[in-house]
Amino acid sequence: MVSPALLFVALVTLFPIGYSIWMSLNHIQSSTNGFQFSFAGLANYKIVFNSPLFHQALIFTIVYAVVTVLVELVLGLLVALAINQPIKGRGFAIAIMLIPWTLITVISAQMWGYIYNGVYGILDYLLQSLHLINQSIVWLGTPNLATVSIMIADIWKTTPFVTMILLAGLQLIPSDLYEAAKIDGAGAFRSFFSVTLPLLRPSLALAALFRILQAFGLFDLPFVLTGGGPGTSTMSIAMLAYKAIFNDFEYGPGTAVAVITVLIILIMSLISIKAFRAQVGEVEE
Amino acid sequence: MSKAQLVTRKWIGYIVLILMLLIIIAPFYWMVITSLKSNNEISAIPPTLFPVHPTLSQYTQTFGQFGFGIYFRNSLIVSIISTILVVILASLASYAIARLPIRGKTFIMVTLLVISTFPQVSVISPLFVIMERLGWLNSYQALIIPYVAFNLPFAIWIMRTYFAGIPRELDEAARVDGAGVLTTVFRIILPLSTPGLFTGAIFTFVACWTEFFFALVFNTDNSFRTIPVGIALFGGQFTIPYGTIFAASTVAVLPIVILVLIFQKWVVAGLTSGAVKG
Repeated sequence: MVSPALLFVALVTLFPIGYSIWMSLNHIQSSTNGFQFSFAGLANYKIVFNSPLFHQALIFTIVYAVVTVLVELVLGLLVALAINQPIKGRGFAIAIMLIPWTLITVISAQMWGYIYNGVYGILDYLLQSLHLINQSIVWLGTPNLATVSIMIADIWKTTPFVTMILLAGLQLIPSDLYEAAKIDGAGAFRSFFSVTLPLLRPSLALAALFRILQAFGLFDLPFVLTGGGPGTSTMSIAMLAYKAIFNDFEYGPGTAVAVITVLIILIMSLISIKAFRAQVGEVEE
Repeated sequence: MSKAQLVTRKWIGYIVLILMLLIIIAPFYWMVITSLKSNNEISAIPPTLFPVHPTLSQYTQTFGQFGFGIYFRNSLIVSIISTILVVILASLASYAIARLPIRGKTFIMVTLLVISTFPQVSVISPLFVIMERLGWLNSYQALIIPYVAFNLPFAIWIMRTYFAGIPRELDEAARVDGAGVLTTVFRIILPLSTPGLFTGAIFTFVACWTEFFFALVFNTDNSFRTIPVGIALFGGQFTIPYGTIFAASTVAVLPIVILVLIFQKWVVAGLTSGAVKG
């Protein structure tokens, strides 16, 4: 009974990943009668690793993943700590927190594109009315600002989700632990670092892993918001693979980029599998 | 904590809560408000915080000239069929994982979760080649197949927790009465785990509704585009028709918001049990 589901998943995910590896080792040409493969060894990987564009995309994606995930975890933890108490309207708030998570990323990209607009964008208008800036800023116009702008859109959409996971983690911590810490004379900071943080580690690790993996697949947001620009400064590895394959028809090198992404993700997953194991074990008992 | 500290803490809680809600809601407000403005008002300087002359013309344009109805229908078809398939396959698989003696359960579950986090780009070129050879580019199955595969793992993960909570005695009673495994699942277990089913279903539906990458690559023909691709490609060469985009967006957001708010409790429980308890 498990097998139909597992077979199907394997057929549509594992098999293509294997096939990707094979494709990345071939010269591939698209012609009227389908795709022509000819074995090329590691030639595609050589092209990719020698490409400055790949280096740039890799660095952008790593910086993007690390910064957004860190900010989301810290912000999410702060909010979760603040609202982890019996206050009115928390149920309603949690319902609202779900909404950004259900939002089509393309819509959020268009929404932020309009907010950032350099001519009639509301953000410039608000900042100017508050006299925080004197002249309008072209948010998507320079590499650094564009990167920050994409990050803000991501942080806006994902922090509520992270908050919910951490809030659930906080609620699992038995309150007598805090009382014991208090009796032992621990202040708020002390009990945060010696009770909350260690017990929250599994949820934090899981949220971090999910988010980092997701961030490595980053595509929708820059595709719509900046088109990878200005220049190629906000091009993620997924976008690079997409452009190579479907705009330039460089199937071999593009697939090599995809395989490299899988390898990075696998390594990260293996490192974090300890966190998974600990949690799965808990349920299986 | 002293009473004063408790009161301060409560105040901080309320302030954070209200700030967060404002930050979440503000862009949505801006989106809906913009969809009710005329084109001139949308690019007005300074921007108007309320529509001066509210109009539904953006909506009629979106469905008329821009043919948004096709995208909406495609999204509905693909998401609903994928969700039904996921629920059927996942309920069988997660029941088996929760009940039957299968070796390497932990390994299967961990592998499944890792797979479900793979970005779409990792399988895109082989799937494209296969779809091309099968003549399935620009079709509903081009999306339904990968959507089902990528959403099954998480659905199994969530449902398993619910199934594990149902006492085994019920299964045994059913078996004594002569019910097979399939009958047991569909007649006894599923009705008892409706929250789990709905949670799995909602997660899958949201994921299919919002998916962009496969839809962009596999269905390039206008008549098979889904909402995200439609909204991403509304942009013209030089101008971006924000009115149309936000009218379409509002229409796309509404069903999901209603769905999630109705099933709020289950979704939250699913998220937390799926993601935190394991």
